[in-house]
Amino acid sequence: MLIAITVIFAILPFAGDNPLSKAGLQQTMAVAFLFGALALTYDLLFGFTGLLSFGHALYFASGMYVTAILINDFNVHFLLAILCAILFTSLLAGLTGGAALRTTGITFAMVTLAFGQAGHVFIARDFGGFTNGDDGLPVNADRLPDFFIGVVNTKYLYLLALGILVFIYFAAWWITESSAGRVFAALRDNEQRVSVLGLNPNRFKLLSFVLSAAMAALIGAAMLFVSGSGSPRYATADITIALLLMVILGGPVTRWGAVLGGIIYSVLSTRLTVLSDGTAFDSLPNFIGGPLTEPAFTLGLIFIFIVMFAPGGISGAYYRARFKYLNKGK
Amino acid sequence: MSTFLLILITGIGLGALYFLVASGLSLIYGLMGVLNFAHGAFLTIGAFTGLWISTKVFPNPTTLTFILSMLAGGVMAGLFALLMEQLVITRLYNRHIDQALVTVGVSLVVTALLGGWFGFDAQFLPTPLWFMNAVTIGDAIIPVDRFIYIAVAAILLIAMLSILRFTRIGLIIRAGVENRAMVTALGINVRLAFSTVFFIGGFAAGVGGVLISVFSYGVSPLMGGSWLIYGFIVVVVGGMGSIAGSAIAAMLIGITNQFANYYFTGLGDFVVVIILATVLLTKPSGLLGKVSH
Repeated sequence: MLIAITVIFAILPFAGDNPLSKAGLQQTMAVAFLFGALALTYDLLFGFTGLLSFGHALYFASGMYVTAILINDFNVHFLLAILCAILFTSLLAGLTGGAALRTTGITFAMVTLAFGQAGHVFIARDFGGFTNGDDGLPVNADRLPDFFIGVVNTKYLYLLALGILVFIYFAAWWITESSAGRVFAALRDNEQRVSVLGLNPNRFKLLSFVLSAAMAALIGAAMLFVSGSGSPRYATADITIALLLMVILGGPVTRWGAVLGGIIYSVLSTRLTVLSDGTAFDSLPNFIGGPLTEPAFTLGLIFIFIVMFAPGGISGAYYRARFKYLNKGK
Repeated sequence: MSTFLLILITGIGLGALYFLVASGLSLIYGLMGVLNFAHGAFLTIGAFTGLWISTKVFPNPTTLTFILSMLAGGVMAGLFALLMEQLVITRLYNRHIDQALVTVGVSLVVTALLGGWFGFDAQFLPTPLWFMNAVTIGDAIIPVDRFIYIAVAAILLIAMLSILRFTRIGLIIRAGVENRAMVTALGINVRLAFSTVFFIGGFAAGVGGVLISVFSYGVSPLMGGSWLIYGFIVVVVGGMGSIAGSAIAAMLIGITNQFANYYFTGLGDFVVVIILATVLLTKPSGLLGKVSH
């Protein structure tokens, strides 16, 4: 079924007149696919391994900026630039993750938050003159292949994003079903047991941390091409918190739940903004209409509701309903 | 020498503001194991209440009305903290990750709500005129607002330490930080201690919010988020659950931040993260940390 949906999404932009043949929606969906993939890499940490990190955006932004800097300042071929960005980000994640993993639980969350914040400051203040600070860093279009440039070619960016999503999905599948993936899940469920069995918990946590960071770097590079430029806002804790919301919304540990959560969240926050720029809420008094124009208000309320009353999110609800259905006859 | 003194006192003033944010975070985490992401929202609510008192209720700010706006900001933030604790946190008893997640949601909603009502642009909070003065110590000219932050934080530090040291509820809180299970097993009502800690933490953050609006020349719904991160860093460096640890770490971080910003233009935030990493690598529980859950 997932394959069928993917094929439909891949064909739609080329199949005559439909909403997805417009460049605007293609752009929105491309961003949504990448956030879906990014949410999945976060799920690998949070859902599968049980690590609550608040610094995941750092590795996303690192992939994005290293790619852009290598292409712009050093005239590196874009594929090689992406590869270098992934390697650099893995190294960065190894160092910061190694330090942060000296702590556990909530302290770990705070430490990763601090590292993420340092990364954001580094990019926004433009140390060393590489990142162009708050203005963002446009990637030099001349050095990208032609089919990634221009509004008519948005469909190829759309396909790129979809391809990255499929790749990350299979990578995450392979990782979580591998023997290392079993250890990740065991760490989440009972860390003491893992150490009793003679495995080093921190080594596996670090592996999970670095793997998800490396995948985030790849997605960051793709986001660079889709949005045309890097921006410090991709490095903020807001992005990581958004990822957390996506995973909770779609439901952790099911893979497709995180992806779906990411896509829904991304589309919703774009569309709710469009809605609020219009006149939809003008008839309401300001003390109700004002907050409704902020996507964060609605999304925050949904989030609180899911955490309190519907843990497992969309995919959790699906599996509960399915379980009920399958057991109906008994 | 005069620059040195100016930076030192500015750093202590900044540390005083960090302390106001961090003390509540530290107590709440120490007692209940809740990582409170809504603490930034408490701060913002305090700041907006202060703004309301200083502009709408008393349009001509005097020293007395400023004190009133600080108190009102503190009480309002404290009440909101209490409300959140009663409505949300207590329902997720012992689900620590979910409690942290739900506070993330609360902070998003509060930020969006305040943004929708008042806009995201910073609004100026009027202060009594003498706040703009400066005092001369030796040959250093130091703006007087620094001393206000330090004085307010010192008063709250003494008040909190006294509550913890000399009252019955303070005794329960201290015992709860050390071993909550044992306190509950002895049949003591810890719930009341939870609510007290949330109110005190919210109060300090609310007062801090009003002062931070003076320090950063404006009130905005987004102010909570950036100060919250420093609050977290101070708490981790100082040790979870220790008010004295928070005070020491806040001073350490405020002062180094200012010196690093002056001598290595703008590197202050980095130095803060380096301090954090160093403390974690040498003493993961923080300077005065006691909690192990």
